[in-house]
Amino acid sequence: MTAERTLSRRSFIKATGGASAIAAFGAPAVLRAQTATLKTTAWGGKWGEVMKATVIPAFEKEFRCKVETVSAFPYYPKLQATPKNAPLYDVLHSNTSEQWQAAVEGLVEPRIDAKNVPNIADVFPYAVSDKMVGVSMFTSAIGFGYRTDKGIVAPKSWKDLADAKFAGQRGSYIIPVNSLGQMHLMMLGKVYGKGLTDLDAAYKALEQLKPIKTFDFTGQMEKALLSGEVTIGVLHDSGIYRYDGQNQPIEFAAPQEGVLALEQVLAVTPGSKVKELAYAWVDFMLRPDIQKPLAEAVWYSPSNRKVKLDARYDAKLYNTEAKVAQLIQVDWRWYNERKDDIDARVARILRG
Amino acid sequence: MNGRPLDLARAAYLTVNGAIVFFLLMPIAIVLVFALNPTPYIAFPPVGVTLRWFVKFFSSPDFMSALWLSLRVAALVVVLSTTIGAMCALALARGNLPGARLLTTLFLSPLMLPAILTGLSLFQMLMLAGIGRPVWGLVVGHTLVAVPYVLRTTLAVLANFDRRIEEAAAVLGANPARVFFEVTLPLIRPGVIAGAIFAFIVSFDQLPISLFLVVPGGETLPVVLLNYIRFDLDGAIAAASMVSIVLALTAVVLLERIIGLRAYVRL
Repeated sequence: MTAERTLSRRSFIKATGGASAIAAFGAPAVLRAQTATLKTTAWGGKWGEVMKATVIPAFEKEFRCKVETVSAFPYYPKLQATPKNAPLYDVLHSNTSEQWQAAVEGLVEPRIDAKNVPNIADVFPYAVSDKMVGVSMFTSAIGFGYRTDKGIVAPKSWKDLADAKFAGQRGSYIIPVNSLGQMHLMMLGKVYGKGLTDLDAAYKALEQLKPIKTFDFTGQMEKALLSGEVTIGVLHDSGIYRYDGQNQPIEFAAPQEGVLALEQVLAVTPGSKVKELAYAWVDFMLRPDIQKPLAEAVWYSPSNRKVKLDARYDAKLYNTEAKVAQLIQVDWRWYNERKDDIDARVARILRG
Repeated sequence: MNGRPLDLARAAYLTVNGAIVFFLLMPIAIVLVFALNPTPYIAFPPVGVTLRWFVKFFSSPDFMSALWLSLRVAALVVVLSTTIGAMCALALARGNLPGARLLTTLFLSPLMLPAILTGLSLFQMLMLAGIGRPVWGLVVGHTLVAVPYVLRTTLAVLANFDRRIEEAAAVLGANPARVFFEVTLPLIRPGVIAGAIFAFIVSFDQLPISLFLVVPGGETLPVVLLNYIRFDLDGAIAAASMVSIVLALTAVVLLERIIGLRAYVRL
């Protein structure tokens, strides 16, 4: 039995057909006439499956174009190595950290004008805040994943991870390579110090978390929780909810200090030769009829406030003004400028 | 009394060798257990036996297209790197070339550079030249790092080559082409074949170069696997690993059976 909603191409196109027809009718004639190719980055896993099976074919049909997706990392160095007037991607889909790296170098447009992407008018403010590049189409909430079969009370605070009973049983990430680990470090600064940028407090708090198991990817953390290798770990809500209905003894806890936002960001490259199509893609991805099935397939919180989720998802995802108020966004530009120093310091702390 | 120290030495020898074999094979055993275990995570002892991860792997269009692409690229790389590597080795060993040592070092240099730098450099070159990322770019990248293996193994065989055999053939009336195909090639074949096996494995498992050179929508198996484990670290990865191991072993066994590698190695 699986909690993930299965979605056939037929049912998807049927469900989105009406809206697609309206959008296609309203789309610029130039878009409907061309057969251009849009190049974009893409995630793998269930996200990639849904994109390939339904979303991309629907876009290709509607805009009479071809969409080429690339899921081979790393995106940012490849974009760096490509001439700006002939970028490797027309749309960069990545997390916010990487988007800021690209934006600082002028490799992606930092802002998207609502005139080009009308659906931006309907997104929650966090999706286009000053902490963002481009627009966030979805977000996950980073808190704790924990085992429910070990007599553990649901953690309420980020400080609970330091509880002595979790020594050697707590998990986080290899900070230099994982943005969740980086955000967790900043959150330590907030809960133990003066704020997200209080690195001294963060380093001291990190020292207190030893011994701690660290992982490269969230997928590894999920399996470590499932196998009982760790009993509590820093994880995004979708990494727990995807096992919903599978009778697994794991649950998500949102600390009272707030949850960190792990945004799925889209930004357009300035040198794209198919810019109109790139904006159309961003607009398409923000459409409620596209956001709903994707959100329900992978348990991501949609950024378009008009999306009406089924009750099961509506109860858990961050899709109301009150819920998104709990999201904490970090200043990635600030972090990236200090990353090398932070990496060196963190390595010393965790090695010692 | 006399035999005891010898027995102890033999026991120590066997223990050390056993430990080495255990160290080498243990990861494969763990992968096999993970591939057959029904739980979607590594659990020991295993709770049962299932083929669901193999079914998932073989029924996934993404995995299958990646596997097929990896096999096709590796086959091309074997042909190209074997031809180029063997010809280079012959030229370097026989050609009386000025600066032969320097040239040898140059040909082996792809092994000295981190593969990720080689991949990035090739990627930049293709982009700046406006070529994009064709499949042949991927093949060229893999060939670049596979050639040194063929070169090294062929040079090793050529170092012990008795040229009088070739001279005898020539004296008996064989033209240079016949000498090459009927005398030289059969004698250097063990080195060439060993290099070809390395080339296949290097290409099939190649990740750093492929990360930069894969074609949109056409990703090799290691790239797909890396992308997969970022989101789904389940037994399908272990099943894919077992398939890779079996393919590599099959290649070696087939070559041994068809060409009789063992007989040549004894030379």
